[in-house]
Formats: sequence, structure tokens, C-alpha cells
Amino acid sequence: MSTTAPATPRSVSVSGLVKRYGDTTALSGLDLDVSGGEILGIVGPNGAGKSTFVKILAGDEVATSGEIHVNGQDWRRGVDADRIAVVHQEPQLFPNLTVAENLVVGREISTFGWGKLRDLDKKVLSDTGLLPYMNRTLGDLSISLQQRTEIARALVRSADVFLFDEPNSALTEDESEQLFAYMHSLADAGSVVILVTHRLAELVRHADRAVVIIDGRCRRELSGADLTAETLARELVVRSSDETADESVRERRDAGEMPSLLSVSELSHQQDKFRSVSFELHRGEVVALVGVEGSGAREIVRAVSGLEHLRPTGGMTWAADSSADSNRTVAFVTADRSDSLFGNLSVGENLVIRSGDDIKSRFGLVRSKEVRRLAQQAREEFAVKTASLDTPIRSLSGGNQQKVAIASVLRLFPAVAALEEPTRGVDVSSKREIYSLLRQYCDGGGCALLFCTEDSEVFDVADRVLVAARGQIVTELNCADFDSAEGLAEATASLMGGSATPAAAD
Amino acid sequence: MSTLAIVGMGLTAILIVGEIDLSFASLYGLSAMMLAVSWLKWGWPLWAGFLLCIVVAVLTGLFNAFFTAVVKIPSFIATLGSSTLIFGFTLLVSRAQRFSTSSPPAGEVVRKGEISFFRQISNLHLPFNIPMQVVWMIVVALIAWLILGKSLFGFRLKAIGGNPAAARFARLPVTKYKFLAFIMGAVCAALAAVFDFSFIGSVQPDGGQVLLFPIFAAVVIGGASLSGGRGSVSGTLLGALLLAVIANGLALNAAGAFAQQMFLGVVTIAAVVLDQVTRSWRKS
Repeated sequence: MSTTAPATPRSVSVSGLVKRYGDTTALSGLDLDVSGGEILGIVGPNGAGKSTFVKILAGDEVATSGEIHVNGQDWRRGVDADRIAVVHQEPQLFPNLTVAENLVVGREISTFGWGKLRDLDKKVLSDTGLLPYMNRTLGDLSISLQQRTEIARALVRSADVFLFDEPNSALTEDESEQLFAYMHSLADAGSVVILVTHRLAELVRHADRAVVIIDGRCRRELSGADLTAETLARELVVRSSDETADESVRERRDAGEMPSLLSVSELSHQQDKFRSVSFELHRGEVVALVGVEGSGAREIVRAVSGLEHLRPTGGMTWAADSSADSNRTVAFVTADRSDSLFGNLSVGENLVIRSGDDIKSRFGLVRSKEVRRLAQQAREEFAVKTASLDTPIRSLSGGNQQKVAIASVLRLFPAVAALEEPTRGVDVSSKREIYSLLRQYCDGGGCALLFCTEDSEVFDVADRVLVAARGQIVTELNCADFDSAEGLAEATASLMGGSATPAAAD
Repeated sequence: MSTLAIVGMGLTAILIVGEIDLSFASLYGLSAMMLAVSWLKWGWPLWAGFLLCIVVAVLTGLFNAFFTAVVKIPSFIATLGSSTLIFGFTLLVSRAQRFSTSSPPAGEVVRKGEISFFRQISNLHLPFNIPMQVVWMIVVALIAWLILGKSLFGFRLKAIGGNPAAARFARLPVTKYKFLAFIMGAVCAALAAVFDFSFIGSVQPDGGQVLLFPIFAAVVIGGASLSGGRGSVSGTLLGALLLAVIANGLALNAAGAFAQQMFLGVVTIAAVVLDQVTRSWRKS
């Protein structure tokens, strides 16, 4: 596809890439080498640093330290921006311009109008099959055509490196195939191709080599016969066992003693993110829904919290004896702290913000003494480390912020607490504290439903694991049946790997 | 000053919840005009005219909130539209006429008692020559302080404006509170209009138009954030006081009267810059 033969062999080499946002470290010394003609796959759990890596290569973020070399030369952000092209999940172009205009914008030949297409532009347009669409407004075209325009735009700028960031999550099967065909032809022409995706099966099919990024660095590299969906899934879930190895195995409760609380039957997502999902939640247990992005696990947890649009079939039924349970509520906490906390409020205010009648006087005024008392009580009960209740929430550490987010929910004792990745981006000691807080809440008769992407975590906190893949719950595992996090991870990995016909294990 | 402060109280509520209102100036004109027309021209009793004026304000608040919180049009556009709509309606109702309590339209008999009572609302003689308008301002500010500063409504309003996504996840009544904030804003504008009508003794259709910017300036100088989540009754009161004092000072010399507009612009930008600087300083 490329028009000029590369003068030097193309390559990308990244060494010691570090990126910190305040207290949190997104990348902690990432090393990576890719040469032209090769397709490198990158996988990693949420928050592992994949998207930060993509943003740095795209020039959207500046690395704290580390080096990037393209074709053996130092890559300078801004100056060399055209040499690395990113194909986004949602194309980042000008939807109000035509395809042809999108190709030349920023490189206009004259000050008036946008001049003519060069021969190269026309050749690229016909190579990418965009010629019939060149005068159409980009925003009117399908995502796949928009992505192709993104590729074409990079080609006319003679980019050397193509970074595909979750490129086909919004595409149909046919469109994906076409996109991957282009991806291969780019690699065949000698370009460096990097594919970031959650879809393990696709990655195995298209990549020559894959790296697993965990905690901001490359944990494992796989190629050849080692590169299978199962091994990747295992790498993803059996993570950092050193973090949890010294934790004593908890006492497991007998599943039979726990009374049923909420039964979910035949729930289907309106956009088919999951279909006909049924399961049961019991009092006093922590249930983890495990699945990679796109498996439907996240959406199922949100659906139980009433945040997704569902098909009218199926539904949720509360147990008859649950009528007194805080109005049968399901409280929800997102994984993203910027959406679970109020940055303009203090620690104390964040702790009580979900309160209503309990802090209201007869005339609708807030009983400020009661607020302080409740906030202080929650602060002690949930071991929130803060200078005072009036401290701005943002000045707390990530772990303590997360504790505030969870405490604000658990202190009201909802019937079910639905938490998304409750320990994402949280340090080890806060993780343990959060687990024990959840355990306390469940011992009091509550039920926690978690969405998790990591299995070691699941073993530490959950009683039961529901594994989701391809919009369905493929199996249910009892944590008590396993001796170690690794054992549980092994069992779920093969199921999460996305085999076409998930067999129900027992 | 009292006009700035009273209308500003309502705008503060709307800014706290993270919305914006450009229609209060037109509404100020319309609500006074509804009272004048129904009372002086149609011969309604004063109380009915006042009721109509408040009903019109509540309807305007509902209108703004509906397009903002339900249809989800940016409030800037929705209230810009309603502002023009309201102004046009004011011209239609009043036939672009001015109304005065001292010379009601010919052929209508307005009870003398009502007129003198209405004048007293803002012109009553108090000991120490305290202007009645200041009394009304304090009353409205007190109520607004209870609502925004002390009530559960005010507490949640701040949270909703600070992080709408988190508010939805926490199941706070986002839509309902936006409606209430817009209604509060509209009612404050209507009250200010009635007090001013009583004080001046006449209304004209474009009465409120010049207020748009000064009120925004007062509220923003008072520390309310245009991106939501911040603002207070005491701040708005201080902002209004500052603007009134300096405007008064400038009005006392001839050149100052013309420089007033420029001054208003400068102070507002300075206030926002100061806010931005202190916030980024606090962050680091």
C-alpha cells in the first residue's frame, strides 16, 4: 500500500517509559520493541496502562520519563507526530468535512480553499477503496469507512507506525474482517503495526507476537505456539500473585445456609450486550462477575443496578422476606472515582451525600450536627485516613478516596451493593481494607455484587464467581472449592478465553 | 443593589446546579408587565395581578427546566430562546406601552387604596431612613440562605452541579432539582420586578434588559462557578454590594457614568481570572 520503499527498516523501540498522574503510576518502566512488517498485539486488564501508552504514542500525553525511538531515531512529540498514526475505536477526525478534505486538512496547499488532491492522495484513496466516498461528508459515513479515512490520512502523511486501538469494537463482523485485511496489508508493506485489543481470539489470529501489560510494564511476551487465547487469559488473570500470596485463606461459609435475596432471570440487554442471563444472589455473600471487556459482565452488574436499558423479557424478583431491606435498593459505585465522588465537596460531605431523610429536619433543613456525627462515624468505621472531615476529597490518596466512595454506599446498608472493580488503582493495603469492609457488610446480611477483571482479587474477596463470556454467564464457581488464587484463575481462564462454544463446567 | 441581589439569589441556585439562565432579564420585564397590565388595564384586583405575575414566573421556570433537564438542550441555548420569546410576549401583551401607577390607562378605574398600598411596598417610611427595598433584599436573602446554604436541597444541588454523573449513580433527584432551581430563579426575578415596579411607580416592556450582565457579574464576582457546584448567598450579596458601591462612586462624576460599562466588564473578567488562579493554586 505504501508508495515509497522505506529507506531504513522501520521499527519502534520504547524503553523505560514512565507516566505518573499525581500519586498514581500508570506506566512504570515499559519496554517494547517492534520491527516493521510485524503485528504486535497488546493486552492487559483495565488500568494496566494500555490506554496511557497509546496516548503517549499518539502525542496526546507527555511521558514522565523514558525514551521512544522510531526507525532508530529519537521520536520528538509534535515534530514527529505524523510518523505514528493511531486508528481509534471512534475515529478522531473532522466529521463535518468530506473524506478528501479530511485527508488534506492541516496540509492545505493554498491559503484560499484547500487546493487540489495530489497524485499520492488519489492513489491512497483508490488503494483504500475510498474513491467513491471522497466527496461525502465524513460524519455521514459508517465507522469503518471513517477508520479507513484515518488510515488513509496517515498513509498520505507517510506514517511508519500504525497503532490500532480497540479498532473493531464498534464494527460488524464483515467490517472487522476488512479492517484486519488492511492491517495485514500495512504490515506486509513494511510498516510497524501495533494492535491493542480486549478480544483475545482476534489478537491470536492476527498478531505475530503479543505482550501482556500489567501494572504499567510488560509482564510477559508470547509468540508462536505459546500465543493462544488460553495462555493470554491466564496471564491476564493470574496476576501479581506476590501481592496476595501471604494472605491467609479465608474461612468459607457454607453456601447452603445463605437465604436467597434477589433472583435475576432471563435478563437481556437491549443492545444484546448480554442475553438471557439468570442468577441468584444470597444474603451475606460476595458474588463476583468476571469477564473481559465486552463479555457483558460489566453491563450485567450495571443492569442489576438499574442503569442499563433492558428488553422487557425476564426480570428481577426480591425474596419475600426482604421487604424491610432499605427499600430493596441496589446501590452502585462505578470504577471511575471521578464519577463516584464529588470533587467540589469535602470528605465528610462525600460520606453523607447519599443520605436523605436521616439528615433532614422537619423543615427540610440539614441537621448539621447529625451530619457531622454520621460522617465521623463512617470515617471511623471505614478507616478513612483524612486530616479532617472538611478536607477536600481530592487531596486524599487513591485508596482512601475509594474507601470514601464505598463507605458512602455501605453505611446506608443497601440490600445489594453493586461495585465495579472496587479496588482498581488502589494500593495493596487499601485493597485488603476494602475487602474486609465488604466482608463486614455481608456478614451484616448484605450482598455484594462485584464486577472484576482480575481473578486473584476475586479469590480474596468473593464467595462465588460467575464467569461471563460473549454476553452469557458460562459458569459458576465456588471459591471454597479452590485452594489458591492460581487454581481459581486456571479454572476461569479457559472459560474467559472466549472459546466459541463455552461448555458449562461444574 | 437590591435588584442585583434578589435576582442574583435565583441565578446563584441555577449556576450551582450547573446550568445557566439568560432569560431572567426578560422575565423581570414580563412579570412586572403582567402585574401592570392585569391590574391597571384589565381591572383585576392587585392580589390577582400579583398571583398572575408569580404564575408566569413559575411557568417560565418550568419551560426552561423542561428543555434543559428533560429534552436536554444546553441551558444556554434553551434560555437564550426563552428570553427572546418572553421579550416578544411582553411587547405583545403591553403593546409596547409603558404603564404607570400615577396615570392608569384612561377609562379604567383603579381603586386608590390599592395604588397607595402598592406604592408602600417599596416606599414605606422606616425609622433611620432604612429603604424598604433593603428590607426586602434581606428577607429574600435570608430565605435563599436557608434554601441554598442550610437545606438538604441546597446540599444536593451543590453535589449535582459538581458532578452530574456521580449524582445520577448516587440516585440523587437530578431532574427534579433542576426544575426547582429554575423555578427559584424565575420567582426571584419576578419578586425583584414587583419590588422595583412599586418603587419606581412605572414599568416599561424592556425594563429588565439592562440587568442581564450586571446580575451575572454580581453572582460570578460572588464566587459562583459557571461550570457548576459552587456559589453562595453571602458571596452573591457581596458581589452585588461591590458592584453597587463602585457604580455609585463612578456615577458621582461625569466621566465615570460613561465608564461604568467598561468597569463592569473589567471587574467581571478580573473576578473570574482570580477564581481560576486561586483554584489552580489550590490544586497543586
